[in-house]
Amino acid sequence: MNKSFVKVLTVFRKDILAELRTREIVVSVLVFALLVLVIFSFAFDMGAGMGETVAPGILWVALTFGGVIGFNRIFAMEKENSRLEGLMLCPVDRAVIYWGKLAGSFTFMLAVAVIITPVFLVLFNLPLLLPRLALVIVLTVIGFAAVGTLFSALAINTRARDIMLPILFLPIVVPVIVAAVKATAPVLAGAPWADMLTWLQVIIAFDIIYLVVATLVFEFVIEE
Amino acid sequence: MENLGYLFAAYTVIWAIVFGYILFMQRNQRRLQRQINLLQESIDKTENDG
Amino acid sequence: MNIKRSLRNNGLLELGFVLMIAALYMVFLYVPTEKHTGIVQRIFYFHVPVAWVSFLAFFVTFIFSILYLSKREMKWDAIACASAEAGVIFTTLVLITGPIWGKPVWGIWWTWDARLTTSLVLWLIYVAYLLVRGFATEPARGARFSAVVGIVGFIDVPLVFLTVNLWRTQHPTTIIFEGGLTTPMLVTLLVCIAAFTVLYVLLTIQSANLKSLDTALKRLKSMHTG
Repeated sequence: MNKSFVKVLTVFRKDILAELRTREIVVSVLVFALLVLVIFSFAFDMGAGMGETVAPGILWVALTFGGVIGFNRIFAMEKENSRLEGLMLCPVDRAVIYWGKLAGSFTFMLAVAVIITPVFLVLFNLPLLLPRLALVIVLTVIGFAAVGTLFSALAINTRARDIMLPILFLPIVVPVIVAAVKATAPVLAGAPWADMLTWLQVIIAFDIIYLVVATLVFEFVIEE
Repeated sequence: MENLGYLFAAYTVIWAIVFGYILFMQRNQRRLQRQINLLQESIDKTENDG
Repeated sequence: MNIKRSLRNNGLLELGFVLMIAALYMVFLYVPTEKHTGIVQRIFYFHVPVAWVSFLAFFVTFIFSILYLSKREMKWDAIACASAEAGVIFTTLVLITGPIWGKPVWGIWWTWDARLTTSLVLWLIYVAYLLVRGFATEPARGARFSAVVGIVGFIDVPLVFLTVNLWRTQHPTTIIFEGGLTTPMLVTLLVCIAAFTVLYVLLTIQSANLKSLDTALKRLKSMHTG
């Protein structure tokens, strides 16, 4: 048990180090998410006082599409350098590879969210200290990463990898997007915990289900 | 008997799409048949030559 | 396997035909017109069975995807794929007949209620299933990847339904189907469900057979020329 955990950390560490050096994933996702925020604000004519109703939605659209861009890159490095085959030759349990990459993609997405959210709050004139929002974001990003990592490995092995990832990813995460938006709205409006509790439960259930399913199914995606 | 047009439209769409799918399968079958024929000819040829 | 399928086919085709004629009779001649919504309500008798069949189809894809991943025999993949194709066909029908029924009865083409929304997401998931096969670099990969999608996608369905349901019950703009089902309506509905289920089975078997033939042919070709 301990050995697997160490291996997961190794995979994770490798990704983090590579990313710290090049910063290519976080920077590109950040810029993209920011652009989405801005464009959607224009599209919904933010001057007209629609702010409160559409704000949660805009935040999650930005994070979702940013996520799609980011997950595309998770396995791109391995594919380009043929490192995936090398990884496969190691006698590791496939689930270990999944959890290693999952830790990496979760961290990247969370980093992006940590930077984008304050920008979003400022643009919409919302209070900056919202610990409950942090909870919603962390839980949802877990769900995104669980599904995104799995489908990233799958899409990278197809002929149309850039378009296959969103096509696979977006329908599956519909429940968690709905729940995240519905959980964010009470936080931004300062409403009580009770309003968001059911939605948090939905997100947690989604996370658990997909972490389990993806772990079971990952080996079929990367076998050769 | 208002809205009869809608009723007609719904049922027409159902049958159009189902028949469309059957047609699609027919085309596949014809393609397969053609390939079987080609393969058969090729086998006959090799038998005759060999 | 092919021979057993065609034997079943013979009885099934007759049954399907009879059921469909019975369904048509019941929908147009037997069942009384619904008081509130009039004659357009009869779309319901085809819309609901088609929706049920689409769920059945994706369940079948789910089961046979699991079977394929564990046994790796192409015949399981053929059934999974054929069922997914049929599922997309029937889901398309749900999404088209729904609005055609909705517009005259409730004045709107579309509503984001749990059932319609789930059908839409279902459609997207299984179109992705078919696209993965199309964009795969080789058939074996396509089969393997789409099996994963078939499994992951099906698990999503109850999640989507429950989440959207929760969402909509907080926003009571949902349409409530007034009145219950009288016995003649229920019987008609059941006959229609049976008729469409048999239709689905026939289409799927036919399609799966074609795919198996295709696979066998490719193997023979490569053996012969290779």
